[in-house]
Amino acid sequence: MNEKAPANPSRLPSLPRMRLSEKGARRMTIGVLLAPVIVVILLLFMGGLITGFLRSLGYFPLIGLNDFNFDAYLSIFTDNGFIRSFVLTFHIAFTSTVIASILAIASAMLLRPAFRGKRFVQFIFSLNLTIPHLVGAVGVLYLFSGSGLVSRLATGAGLIDAPAEFPALVFDPWAIGIIIQYVWKEIPFIGVIVLAILLSVGEDYESVARSLGANRWQAFRHVTLPLVMPGVVSASVIVFAFTFGAFEIPWLLGATFPKALPVLAFESYTDVDLAARPQAMAMAMVIAFMSSLMILAYMKLSRRYIRS
Amino acid sequence: MTQVKLSGLTKRFDEKSEPAVDRLDIEIESGKLTALLGPSGCGKTTTMKMIAGLLRPTDGDILFDGSSIVGIAPEDRGAVMVFQNYLLFPYMSVADNIGFGLKMRGVSRSEIRTRVRDMLDLVQMPGFEERRPKQLSGGQQQRIALARALIVQPNVLLLDEPLSNLDAHLRDEMRELISGIQTELGITTVFVTHDQEEAVVLADKIALLFEGRLQQFDVPDAFYETPGTVDIAKFFGGTNFIPGRCEDGRITTAIGRFRAPHTAVDRGEAVLSIRPEAVELGGGGGNSVRGRIRSHVYVGRYARFRVMIGEVEIEVITDPGQVKKLSDGDEVSVRFDPDKIWILGPAADGKDGRADSDSARQPAG
Ligand SMILES: Nc1ncnc2c1ncn2[C@@H]1O[C@H](COP(=O)(O)OP(=O)(O)O)[C@@H](O)[C@H]1O
Ligand SMILES: [Mg+2]
Repeated sequence: MNEKAPANPSRLPSLPRMRLSEKGARRMTIGVLLAPVIVVILLLFMGGLITGFLRSLGYFPLIGLNDFNFDAYLSIFTDNGFIRSFVLTFHIAFTSTVIASILAIASAMLLRPAFRGKRFVQFIFSLNLTIPHLVGAVGVLYLFSGSGLVSRLATGAGLIDAPAEFPALVFDPWAIGIIIQYVWKEIPFIGVIVLAILLSVGEDYESVARSLGANRWQAFRHVTLPLVMPGVVSASVIVFAFTFGAFEIPWLLGATFPKALPVLAFESYTDVDLAARPQAMAMAMVIAFMSSLMILAYMKLSRRYIRS
Repeated sequence: MTQVKLSGLTKRFDEKSEPAVDRLDIEIESGKLTALLGPSGCGKTTTMKMIAGLLRPTDGDILFDGSSIVGIAPEDRGAVMVFQNYLLFPYMSVADNIGFGLKMRGVSRSEIRTRVRDMLDLVQMPGFEERRPKQLSGGQQQRIALARALIVQPNVLLLDEPLSNLDAHLRDEMRELISGIQTELGITTVFVTHDQEEAVVLADKIALLFEGRLQQFDVPDAFYETPGTVDIAKFFGGTNFIPGRCEDGRITTAIGRFRAPHTAVDRGEAVLSIRPEAVELGGGGGNSVRGRIRSHVYVGRYARFRVMIGEVEIEVITDPGQVKKLSDGDEVSVRFDPDKIWILGPAADGKDGRADSDSARQPAG
């Protein structure tokens, strides 16, 4: 195996041609096999990131911008609208993630014991994993907009006098419609992970806790929760990153001001004024940076929580 | 301490199948060490969990010092169960594991710290506070699990197979530790085992269970000397069984008639049982029959003979000196000491009481 040359050595000039240990050879073979994928990922991801970064610094030769500067960053960070958008986006991602995590843990606890028709309930529970976000957004519109089903039902039931009195849940400054959509979509995603952990860990740890004097709540708080927390963290990190950077839901359900960051970035990018491009790119960089930062902070926090 | 009484205790996991625990009546004396003994799957863990309050009985009652505790939550029973696989909380240090019960009771941090240290001394693992469960051997995890239970000063301590996951030398150590701590603290203790020797060595009293049903609840030696049925005697092993019929303190078998004053059945079909070391070779006198030596082994501290009496083969253990006097093929007088014969009811499966492997064997037919 270690004698075997790569199929096309000329394309891989950097491969050292010497005797390797079996393990090293295998690792190298895997590396060679994965190379196309890695190249594609690097080109798409790093390429995009680097291009975006350069343009955010004002370097865009195609439209005659050849200098490096921090003008774009300065302008967005001094723009009150950008700050508002940033806060809103953080609010959407954080609130959605926390509410979805809590409800997912609660659902998993309810789905844990054996009961009649459990498989059916579980099927319904995980059904919307397969439904696209867009469909969920349309559903939220249909249910919660001023002229939506809930509003009309409330009017019909006499809870409010006219649909216009229905509180704004869509296109609203608190992004309630967006959060509802994300929570609805992400509960089963986090929930099935928590449920899988609960079922594989079993109930014996909680039994031990009860036997040692913990009441139901204490056993949940000090035993069940720490056991499922690693799973909740991994799942909600994904949810947080997604909801922080996703474009279509805030675009469909968001208010005109403030806009979520991805919407703001996209609109700047498609602005007829080409000079807005560096700002759009700077916003995209901020989104990427914040997502990474939030994820790191979140993981640190949850790890500390698990330990205590 | 606390006296524990199980009364008609029954657990059925689902309607169709046989109950896992079936109408158990056991009275566990206060401050004593009691063994729940039986083969795997006979309902020992289920019984423990019901006492601890972790499983709800289908029927029957559990009484602590005369009052029913079935409706009381596990954390309020004062009974702590130590699981077979230890189940130390993996995300906590050893100190946090041991201190868990006190933390749940709202004991102050500093008091927890001192009491954890005392517990680590008690289980002979001082200085292990900051270790993680993963960094401990099986025997050490077992000790920490024990410490975690003892720190809350339970009235009833329930140990599920405390020795079965340990290798031989650790098992002896742990056995001594449990026995020492139990004697010192005087906690009413129930421990589960499938190993009869373990039960005999450790327990004040043994409850033997087969298939969820109590077979016998007695002091350890009774299981050797006066077992209730052939199945019980077989579980404790090493006994000769000869089927026959008994009447008025005598039993008639295929190899003769014997006087046998000690009996579990009055009359009718029965099985004579006698331990190999209670059979005398070459003496003669009452209760004797003629036999022929088939084979023998010299084991050093004793000698083991296989003797044919008619068609029946029995095992005899004698002092090693007999080897010089007797050789294979010799005809010999075999005496069953009437005081050592124990008459049992017939075997439950309807066949004769054929014992396993190295005890008495009868030729086929
Ligand atoms: N949670 C459960 N659900 C259904 N059956 C169970 C459950 N726990 C135990 N059993 C059954 O009850 C019987 C007794 O189990 P157990 O008490 O664990 O036996 P032991 O501890 O003596 O080995 C077994 O047949 C087992 O399969
Ligand atoms: Mg068991």
